[in-house]
Amino acid sequence: MRHYEAVVIGGGPAGMMGSITLGGKDVKTLLLDENDVLGGQLVKQTHKFFGDHAHYASVRGFEIAQKLQEEMAKDPNIKVETSATVIGVYPNNLIVYAKDGKEFKVTYKKLLIATGAMEKQLPFINSDLPGVYGAGAVQTLMNEYGVMPGKRFLIVGSGNIGLILAYQLIQAGAEVRGIVEALGKIGGYEVHAKKIKRLGVPILLNHTIVKAIGDESVSGAVIAKIDEHFKPIPGTEEEKVVDTICVSVGLTPLSELAEQAGCKIEYIPQLGGYVPIRNERMQTSNPDVFIAGDLSSIEEATTAMIEGKIAALEMAHNLKSTDVENEINDEIQTLSLFRSGPKSEKIRIGLEKFGINVKPVPEIERHGVQIGPQGKLRAIIDCTEEIPCNSCEAVCPFGAIHIGENLNSTPVVDYDKCNGCATCVIACPGLAIHMLKEDVENSTALVGIPYELLPLPEKGQKMWALDEDGNYICDAIVKKIAKYPNKTNIIYVEVPLEFSQKVLSVEFPKRESPFVCRCEEVTLDEIERVIDSGITDFEEIKRLTRVTMGPCGGKNCKLVVLGILSRKTGVPISKLSHGTSRPPVKPVEFSLFTKRDDSK
Amino acid sequence: MIPEASVVIIGGGIVGTSVAFNLAKLGVNNISVFEKSYISSGSTGRCGGGIRQQWTSRMNVRLAMRSVKLFRQFKRDVGMDIEYHQGGYLLLAYSDKEMEEFRNNVRMQREEGLDVELLTKEQILKKFPFMNLEEVKGGTWCPTDAHANPQIANIAYAMAIKRMGVDLNTHTSVVGIDIQNGEIVGVQTDKGYVKTNVVVNAAGGFSHEVGLMANVNIPTHSERHQILVTESVNHVLDPMVISFQNNYYVRQTKHGSFIMGQSDKNPAQGNDLGHTVEFLEEMAPKMIHDFPFMKHLHIVRQWSGAYNVSPDAQPIIDEAQNVSRYIFAVGFSGHGFMLAPAVGEAVAEMIVYGHSKTTDISNLGMSRFANKIEKEHNVV
Repeated sequence: MRHYEAVVIGGGPAGMMGSITLGGKDVKTLLLDENDVLGGQLVKQTHKFFGDHAHYASVRGFEIAQKLQEEMAKDPNIKVETSATVIGVYPNNLIVYAKDGKEFKVTYKKLLIATGAMEKQLPFINSDLPGVYGAGAVQTLMNEYGVMPGKRFLIVGSGNIGLILAYQLIQAGAEVRGIVEALGKIGGYEVHAKKIKRLGVPILLNHTIVKAIGDESVSGAVIAKIDEHFKPIPGTEEEKVVDTICVSVGLTPLSELAEQAGCKIEYIPQLGGYVPIRNERMQTSNPDVFIAGDLSSIEEATTAMIEGKIAALEMAHNLKSTDVENEINDEIQTLSLFRSGPKSEKIRIGLEKFGINVKPVPEIERHGVQIGPQGKLRAIIDCTEEIPCNSCEAVCPFGAIHIGENLNSTPVVDYDKCNGCATCVIACPGLAIHMLKEDVENSTALVGIPYELLPLPEKGQKMWALDEDGNYICDAIVKKIAKYPNKTNIIYVEVPLEFSQKVLSVEFPKRESPFVCRCEEVTLDEIERVIDSGITDFEEIKRLTRVTMGPCGGKNCKLVVLGILSRKTGVPISKLSHGTSRPPVKPVEFSLFTKRDDSK
Repeated sequence: MIPEASVVIIGGGIVGTSVAFNLAKLGVNNISVFEKSYISSGSTGRCGGGIRQQWTSRMNVRLAMRSVKLFRQFKRDVGMDIEYHQGGYLLLAYSDKEMEEFRNNVRMQREEGLDVELLTKEQILKKFPFMNLEEVKGGTWCPTDAHANPQIANIAYAMAIKRMGVDLNTHTSVVGIDIQNGEIVGVQTDKGYVKTNVVVNAAGGFSHEVGLMANVNIPTHSERHQILVTESVNHVLDPMVISFQNNYYVRQTKHGSFIMGQSDKNPAQGNDLGHTVEFLEEMAPKMIHDFPFMKHLHIVRQWSGAYNVSPDAQPIIDEAQNVSRYIFAVGFSGHGFMLAPAVGEAVAEMIVYGHSKTTDISNLGMSRFANKIEKEHNVV
């Protein structure tokens, strides 16, 4: 049996940061994780993280995991065991874990449990059908293993996980038919919600899923509006054609091992459910056991890492009497800053039940969206919600963006200093900054939109410009595509001046109009647009759109086109010229005319 | 329809609309255009869409080179994408004699500044390995030759001139030209009368008849040329390919279909726009021979259009001797689309300044027929 000064269970952000900190203080540490790679939930997060620039803000989740791993690999004090499933914590500081089909035992002086959380369940009819997933499972399949579990998705729950999943699904080419949210407001960050709303995903508040539809697997979902008691209101049911339903109604801490390790557990709903009682330094009721991350309270990876560090520092102090007082106080102060915003209110209430009070922090400054001086190429920041993040301020090379000491404050731009470099646009984890430059003389505006989808459009291409709800507002011509190594690219489009403050997103022109001509794929929209431009001759419409020019020779669509033309012009079909019929009536191969029957 | 026009243009094809576009650009107001049917209903909308600079007559080379310059910026100038594709033109030669003629043509064309070269059979095969070049000796290649969609180009001009304030009347036939003392005073249409002193005959296939309305005997006549289009397939052929020997031209459109045609042995005269099965029977074997992959390609549609032919197969652009301010731009002999941007510019300059400025077209007048006629040979 091996013995370690410290054992860490769980290799997510809290456990990894805890291990790194322990190793850095010369504590011989063993990290156990049941997955084959370290990183926990980080490895499936392809979005950039919010936070303090000093704490990996603007870095994508899986890249944070890589960076932490690299640091761990350098430290000989840290021993890592992956694919190691801890099956129990026993008396006398004994841990038993399974690996490669064998039983392993290890003892510790101090234990850090960072087992994280699991997704909550939601009961609804047919929830056992294949095609009903937890949001995290879909992220694992899609982002870790490159497998798309479906094509058309319904997401239940509008917390950050649901919102981020919707965005990632769209990035992967899937269709998100909607997000239903039982509460009257969106659960996650506003910037995450805006990101998907402008891509056209509806977020239906006060709605829930009633049942999944399908025989062998999901082929649809029934959703309904709910009353104040969360009961579906009869008559409001609506069917959504989806093949996958993702449930993301929150997380609940995995506290079993902590309980076995002798930690006292309490039910604190604000922190996520059953959580171990602990002090400000992450020490539980068992002085040898510490916790960190989602096990202590459901929060973000950033706070998990800070907690991991605080726990590890205190463990090092316990083990070796190392002086960590200043470091711990600094970390506690940072944590207080992160938790000072309105989105952390629940956490603050929960912690108060343990007697932990958030330290006083500088006041949050609140500002609205600034438009800035017309005609200058500049950054427009659409970030008015107090969330803990300061990456725009940190990256601006000209010091033009101010957030201040409390990173929950919203940014203010000094437009005399902003020179239009767009560094903040690519750094912003919420994609809440875009570029704008009006050209009053030519009645146009250049709008630079952060874009994380593929394929990229081409210069000169026509796109559809969308507003904050993903509605089409005007056509946009791509002027420039600025590519960046962090994969947040900027598409600069030209739009009419009057829409300059409405355009927040672009998409490839859609063909959702019905096909009139199936041979040449000409839609009703295209035909109506040509007629609306003043062209009312059937023959001219044909030449511009190719309608009736395909292999069927117009047999299928000519009358439909004439009907549209008649409807729009008021001229009866009988009075419209309908063109000339030409051979061959059905397409024939060239070779036909080399095999002639010349017999008399 | 306006009651009084500074210029009346008869014909809303590519030449008529290009003249109107260039006149409007020069600041002329109150221009009327009369088109008896819809836009692109005549020869423009029926043609193959080639834009070629490789001619045997210097004048055609010059006009075509100017046109290519204008086609290149068509989208910017006129405002619509006309599927312009600068894929070049490949002309095939089958005998030493034809090679010798090609050599002379290339020398003259290069003197005019055209980027054109002679290719050996091997060089052609390397460029276009899918072709069967049996019997071919060599060819000429001009990479700046091009092709585009003539129907969309015509409609693009029409939409542009409407925006510029031109009085464009479709489905309106000119039935007479009112002349008093050798001067034009008006034009009678089936929808009304318009006063004017200046008339441009851009009537394409009907140029001779519209000439007679003003007692001007223009030596043009029309004959039928047939053409076909195939289903669309993946893009393989960049250039327009012409074989004078085998009597065809072929190109692949941006859309993917192949458009091709020939000169019939005894073409129907006048404006007969019918079609014959012999055309398909003649085209099929030679296309399969030269382009074996076409064997199983489907023919989707055949149609025809009129070549308005002049005695030397070059356009006639002039002002009438016997009627003041009666101008005609006719007799393009199957090449009106590709020359239209330059011709429209030159004719507009003739009307505004009294003579063409950008491209000297003085030798395209009627007087040339008094001398020995030098015929353009590169015609399919």
